[in-house]
Amino acid sequence: MSQPTNFVIETQGLSKSFGELQALHNVDLKVPRNSIFGFLGPNGAGKTTLMKTLLGLIRPTSGKGTIFGYDIVNESVAIRERIGYLPQQPRFIEYMTARQNLEFTARFFFSGPHRQIRERCDEMLELVGLSDKADRPIKGFSGGEKQRLGIALAQVNYPDLLILDEPASALDPLGRQAVLEIMERLREHTTIFYSTHILDDVQRVSDTVAILNRGQVVASGPIEQILSGKDGVVYTLAVKGKPAGLEQRLADLSWVTHTQISQRNGTSTWQVSVSDQAAAERQLLRYVLSDTMVTVTEFRRKKYELEEVFMEIVKGSNHDNH
Amino acid sequence: MTTTNQALQRVNEPNCLRGFSNLLRKENRAWWNTPRWWINALLWPAILGGLASIMLFALPSLVATEQVDEVVAAGGPVAYGIQIGISVFFRMGSVALALGAVVLSQDLLLEEQQSGVTEWLLAKPVARRAYVLAKLAASALAILVLLVGLPSLSMYLLLSIRAGGPYAVLPFLKGIGVLAVHTLFYLVLTLMLGTFFKNRTAILGIAIGSALGGSMIGGFIKPLLWITPWILGNSTELMVMGQSVAPEMMAYPLAATVIWCLIFTLVALAKFERTEF
Repeated sequence: MSQPTNFVIETQGLSKSFGELQALHNVDLKVPRNSIFGFLGPNGAGKTTLMKTLLGLIRPTSGKGTIFGYDIVNESVAIRERIGYLPQQPRFIEYMTARQNLEFTARFFFSGPHRQIRERCDEMLELVGLSDKADRPIKGFSGGEKQRLGIALAQVNYPDLLILDEPASALDPLGRQAVLEIMERLREHTTIFYSTHILDDVQRVSDTVAILNRGQVVASGPIEQILSGKDGVVYTLAVKGKPAGLEQRLADLSWVTHTQISQRNGTSTWQVSVSDQAAAERQLLRYVLSDTMVTVTEFRRKKYELEEVFMEIVKGSNHDNH
Repeated sequence: MTTTNQALQRVNEPNCLRGFSNLLRKENRAWWNTPRWWINALLWPAILGGLASIMLFALPSLVATEQVDEVVAAGGPVAYGIQIGISVFFRMGSVALALGAVVLSQDLLLEEQQSGVTEWLLAKPVARRAYVLAKLAASALAILVLLVGLPSLSMYLLLSIRAGGPYAVLPFLKGIGVLAVHTLFYLVLTLMLGTFFKNRTAILGIAIGSALGGSMIGGFIKPLLWITPWILGNSTELMVMGQSVAPEMMAYPLAATVIWCLIFTLVALAKFERTEF
C-alpha cells in the first residue's frame, strides 16, 4: 500500500488490449475524495473496461492503478472491502428475496451480530424505497426497482467508494430521477465514481468529470472547468451604443485573450475570453462602463451545455486520431 | 446512517479464502433450500435401487427352473440374483452416477458467468479460489449424500433383505468409497472444464465421453485403465462380492483417480484465477 493522498482512485498509463483491440490506452485518472465523479463516453469508449480493471475483474496490459493507495492488481480484495459496485445490469441471486440478497451481500463484509446486520439491510431498503417489497421474490421487480436494489446492495457496507456503471441508463425518467436522488443523498458519505452517457445527469449531480473516447481520457477536471469549454473562461456582454476603440482597449488588457463581436438588432454581443477569471470579475464590467458612449444591457459568464462540450471534445479527438 | 460499521463485526477470513464461508452457505442453500435436494433424493435411489431390486427379487424366480452354469456357479438362484444385483448397482451405477454428477455440475460456473452473477460476486471482497472451492465443496457434499449415500443405503437394505441377514459391511463400504471417488472425479472434471469452456456442449461432450467411452478406449490401450477411473466400476463389483482384485485393477486406478481429482482442482483454480469477467 502506498501513501494515502487526496485522491481515491489514481491511474497512470493504464492500458488494456483484447488481442488487436486497444480498449484502454494510457489512462491517467485522479478521482478526488468525496467527489461525484462522472465518467463520460460514447458507447464502446472503454468505460466498463476501466471500471472492471479497477475492480480486479480484468487485468491491465500495462500501467498501474491504485484505489485508497492499494494496488488494483495485487491488493484487490483489500480494495473491494471498501467499495460498492453496481454493474450495468444489476444481478441478484434469483431464488432469494430482496432482503435475503442484502443479508447475503452484507455477510461478505460483516459476520455479526445478526440483529445489526438485519438493521443495516432494513436501512438500505428504506434508503432506496423498497421496504414494502423486502420479502418479495426478485423475479417480479421492475427495472427501476432492480436498479434501486442494486444500489442498496452496493451501499450495504457503507463503502468509501461507490462504482456505478451506467446506473440510470436503462431507466425511464422517473426511475432515473429516483436513482439520481439516491446518489445525491449518498454524496456526503462516500465518493461516487460512475459512468454514463446521459449528459443531463452528469451536469445535474457531478462535481468532477472525465471524458473517455476510444479508450483515451480526452478531458478531465471539475465540471465548471469542463463547462467553460476549451476557450477557457468567456464573458458575454450585450452592448448598446457606439464604443470607439473599446475593442482595442480591451485587447490591450493583459488578462483578455480574445474578443469576438457580433451585431444584431442594434445591439452588439461581445464574447470576451479571459485568462484571469478573478480579474475579469472585478474589472471587466467596470472597464466597459467607463466608456460613456455605451450601455451594457447584459453581463454574464458564458456557460456551455455539457452536451455541446462533449460533442466538441469527442469529435475533436476522433478527428485527431484519423 | 443508523448502524455504523464499527457496530458490526468484520469478517475474519484470510485473504486467500476470503468469502468462502458466505459462498458455501449460498451454495448449500441452492442445494438444500430448493426442490433440488428432494428431487435427487427420490430419483437416484429409485433408479439404482429399482434396477437392483429387479435383479435381487425378480431374477431368481426367473432363473429358478433353469440349470444355467452361471446360476449353479453362483450357488443358486438367490445368490445369482445377489451377484447380478451387485453388478448392476456398482457397474452400471458408477456410470449412471458419473453422468448424474456431470449433468448436475455442468452449470456450476457457466450459469453465473453468463448471467453476470460471477462478475457481481467477484466485485465483493471474495478470493477467486474461495468462489471455486465453495462450489466444489457444496456440490461434493450434495452429490455424496444424494447420489451416492442414499442409493447405497437403499441398496444395502435391499441386499440384506434378499440375503436374509446383514450383508458383509466392510466390502460393501469399501465399494461405496470407491464409487464416491469415481463420482467425485466426474464432478471435478466437469468443474475444471467449466473454467475452460463457455458452452455446455464442450463440457458435456468431454465429460460424458469420458464416462461412457473411457472403458472402451482402455480396451485398446490397457495401461490407460491403470491411471484412470475407467475400470473402477467393474473392479468394485468384484471387491464387494469378496473377491481379491489385482492392484492394477483397483489400487492403481483408485490412487490415480484421487491424484487426478487434485490436479483438476488445482488446474480449475489456476484457470479461474486468470479468467477475466
